Amino acid sequence: MTTHHPDLSTLMSYSAGSLPDAIATVVAAHLSVCSHCRQQVQEAEQVGISLLEELVPATMSDHAKDDILALLDETEQVPIISREEQYVPNDADIPAPFRPLLGYYLDELHWRYMAPGLKQFVLPASGSNLRLLKIAPGTCMPSHGHTGSELTMVLRGSYSDELGRFCAGDVADLDPDVQHQPVADTGEHCICLIATDAPLRFNGLVPRLLQPFFQL
Amino acid sequence: MDSENSHSDTPDKLKQSLVDLGRYRDKQTFAILYDFFAPRLKRHLMTKGAHGEMAEELVQETMLSVWRHCKSYDPRKSTASTWIFRIARNLWIDRLRKEKADLMTPLDNYPESHFEPAMAEFDSEKIKSALKSLPQQQAQLVYKVYYEGKSHREISEDMDMPLGSVKSGLRLAFNKLRSQAGELK
Ligand SMILES: [Zn+2]
Repeated sequence: MTTHHPDLSTLMSYSAGSLPDAIATVVAAHLSVCSHCRQQVQEAEQVGISLLEELVPATMSDHAKDDILALLDETEQVPIISREEQYVPNDADIPAPFRPLLGYYLDELHWRYMAPGLKQFVLPASGSNLRLLKIAPGTCMPSHGHTGSELTMVLRGSYSDELGRFCAGDVADLDPDVQHQPVADTGEHCICLIATDAPLRFNGLVPRLLQPFFQL
Repeated sequence: MDSENSHSDTPDKLKQSLVDLGRYRDKQTFAILYDFFAPRLKRHLMTKGAHGEMAEELVQETMLSVWRHCKSYDPRKSTASTWIFRIARNLWIDRLRKEKADLMTPLDNYPESHFEPAMAEFDSEKIKSALKSLPQQQAQLVYKVYYEGKSHREISEDMDMPLGSVKSGLRLAFNKLRSQAGELK
């Protein structure tokens, strides 16, 4: 049961395909565990698509229709193979959308040391806009704000801040003017997935790595 | 809307055509769907920033996908428009990723199978008239998300508005659209 969901505006943009890639992936990860938000996205999609029916049609080139009709005979009709039909181990803890890239288990990722009590895994080729953070129990993060859109999903354990307690499956979709100070709850490591749409800034390795969380 | 071919344009007719296409694999049925959707998809992709030639290429790819996968279309899950625009959205995102040589390509952000069947359909006529009654700024926000494909950050820059106001404006707009469209057919 999740209690913290992405903002409605985020789900709207997701349904329209208008979110930055990294942020859309975190939404997809949350949708894979939250039927409430799946419903919201479906509604947002219907609203959006009714609007698209209003579009003034554009003119296609003269030959376009003949071209495609000529291709039909040599194009097989095939069913879409749904991902759920593929074998997935029961104890997989990497969210479904990431499995083609990362496999099934968080513990098998190559975590890198960042700071005491803090390890991270930056997703390959995400322009460092998508990372996993592993926070030791009881670790207190510095108070910080956010520069742009940022979406965090808890995958394991939990943390608490001014807004409440965030457990596995929960998403923090913060307005940029919110200041907060997350503290990992005691008991087990807290693993979070964090997406930003901040532009890349190469001002030294350590500040760049820490930027999303500490805003150095 | 009183012309002859408006009969093939209603959401229910389009839905039936798509179901028939899966069953009978008939080129004339395909042509009906093509005539309705291709020019709208092209406009949609151009509004999102595809230039004319690329937009047309993506339209062809989308419509070929429709032909290839129409057996998987489930009329209980979505309208024909939803299903077809969704294919176009995914192809467009794939194309953007390829241009950026982005290795996130194997990530599937929009998995079809996660969507549940059987939600009540909104009345799209009501949604369209609800959009017209929105305050201008909210209508503009909705336009930028759905038609132009802009991110919240881009909208905040375009409209010179704080990011938080972009988000709250969108929430307000969506709740109004939804409540007015919620009265079922
Ligand atoms: Zn949710």
